[in-house]
Amino acid sequence: MSGEGKGRLRRLAGAKMFSAAGFVMRALAIAAVFTVAHALGLREHTTFLSGTAASVDGGMDRSVVLGVIYLATYHAFVLLGPILLLAAGLLWLWERLLRASQGRRISPPADP
Amino acid sequence: MNSRRQILAGLAALGIATAIWLPCAHLFFVQKESRYRSASGLPPKARALAARHLQLWTDPALRTRELERMRHSNAEWDFMGRSFLVWSLAEMSLREPAAKTTYLAVMDQIIAETLRLEQERGLYFFLMPYAKERPFLQKPERSLFLDSEIALMLAVRRTVEEKPEYRPLLAVRVETMLERMRRSKALAAESYPDECWLFDHAVALAAIRVADALDGTDHSAFLREWVAKARQNLIHPATGLLVSSFTTRGTPLDGPEGSSIWLAAHCLRLVDEDFARDQYRRARKELGRTLGGFAWSREWPVSWQGPMDVDSGAVIPVLDVGAGASGLAFIGASSFGDADYLAPLHATLDYAAFPKRKEGRLKYCASNQVGDAVLLYACVLGPIWDKVKEAQR
Repeated sequence: MSGEGKGRLRRLAGAKMFSAAGFVMRALAIAAVFTVAHALGLREHTTFLSGTAASVDGGMDRSVVLGVIYLATYHAFVLLGPILLLAAGLLWLWERLLRASQGRRISPPADP
Repeated sequence: MNSRRQILAGLAALGIATAIWLPCAHLFFVQKESRYRSASGLPPKARALAARHLQLWTDPALRTRELERMRHSNAEWDFMGRSFLVWSLAEMSLREPAAKTTYLAVMDQIIAETLRLEQERGLYFFLMPYAKERPFLQKPERSLFLDSEIALMLAVRRTVEEKPEYRPLLAVRVETMLERMRRSKALAAESYPDECWLFDHAVALAAIRVADALDGTDHSAFLREWVAKARQNLIHPATGLLVSSFTTRGTPLDGPEGSSIWLAAHCLRLVDEDFARDQYRRARKELGRTLGGFAWSREWPVSWQGPMDVDSGAVIPVLDVGAGASGLAFIGASSFGDADYLAPLHATLDYAAFPKRKEGRLKYCASNQVGDAVLLYACVLGPIWDKVKEAQR
């Protein structure tokens, strides 16, 4: 990764929670956690919702725990992730509009 | 921007984003109706679900693993998974005559193995352990749960194509069910000791009706009497819905239940179309729920809270999403052509039941074999009931 790319990542990681960058960072974190849960095959354990364990050997308790983890990360990815990204976009737009209007107020009047 | 102002701006942005996203989320899961429903042929979803089931019945190791998983929770599901698959294959045979031979072979394999297991291991093999806690009142002990579903398996198989060996087997099941129901003033036969289920009675009545169409017998007087008794004894006053379980005297044990009423309404269409439609309409009002483009079914109506049993599956609190009830709601919505309910049910299925597709086969991870067989049946049902009604006319 280039120095500029690393710098951007560092800025994202250190972003304040209620900033556009902070929301993007959290959406990325959710996507990463969901990807790991999915790659580990936890999707199979959601079968606990039908009252069945993923395997007889593994047992029901294991399926419930792993299935709940998958459910939480999936719903976060599908529902919370897009909301965070949309909110980041809205905040970014609002901040730009705010800066533009402040710029207009500060700039000196044009010569007659 | 100072930090207080930034927090307020962030919260406002989150609020607006939530208001935008939540009503739109379902759009990513909505499918064209032709994906899961068609007047003829097989819709793609049914084909993919069926491919997975046919694989289970041609791969013994895979089938054993899947059945063990279900039997570990509930032996009934092993049996019901067979029934729903046979009923589905019968519908598929009429929809896709070119594949009829393949489907009939699997149906016969399932029926033969089920009858063998019933004969060798006895009725308790497919019942939950509590069946042994007290004796059946009606002797010799039998379960309408087994008799009704086996009868309907035999009947729909013969509706697709006559198989002479099945004719006496069906006749005996039908006569046995009728004789045991007639022993009770409420026309109720046990599935478990002094425990009679609407689900099993509805399947039994449908099987009797199909048998009548096949063999030229006429049990319409009995079927009318059963509906009259049910209206008299088995209606939950607050909802007008049939209760889910009752004693042999016709005393309700539980109230209406999502995991019973949707299939019962579908089966009752063969017995009394108006009554069935009324039950569906009431179930839709009392149990069916839609929100933000998604739909599900409650297990119990608001006016009756019953104990959760293994048939109910998981119930997700707050929204009261019943896993078992929602699965069977597909059958009700499909049978009564309720596209407004069926479309959001399918959106919910693809959102929250975690489809897994592999080499043209489809399974839902949040489900199991019986759950997927119920979904398959909901996608293909129609031609058998139409054929029976046509024969009766």
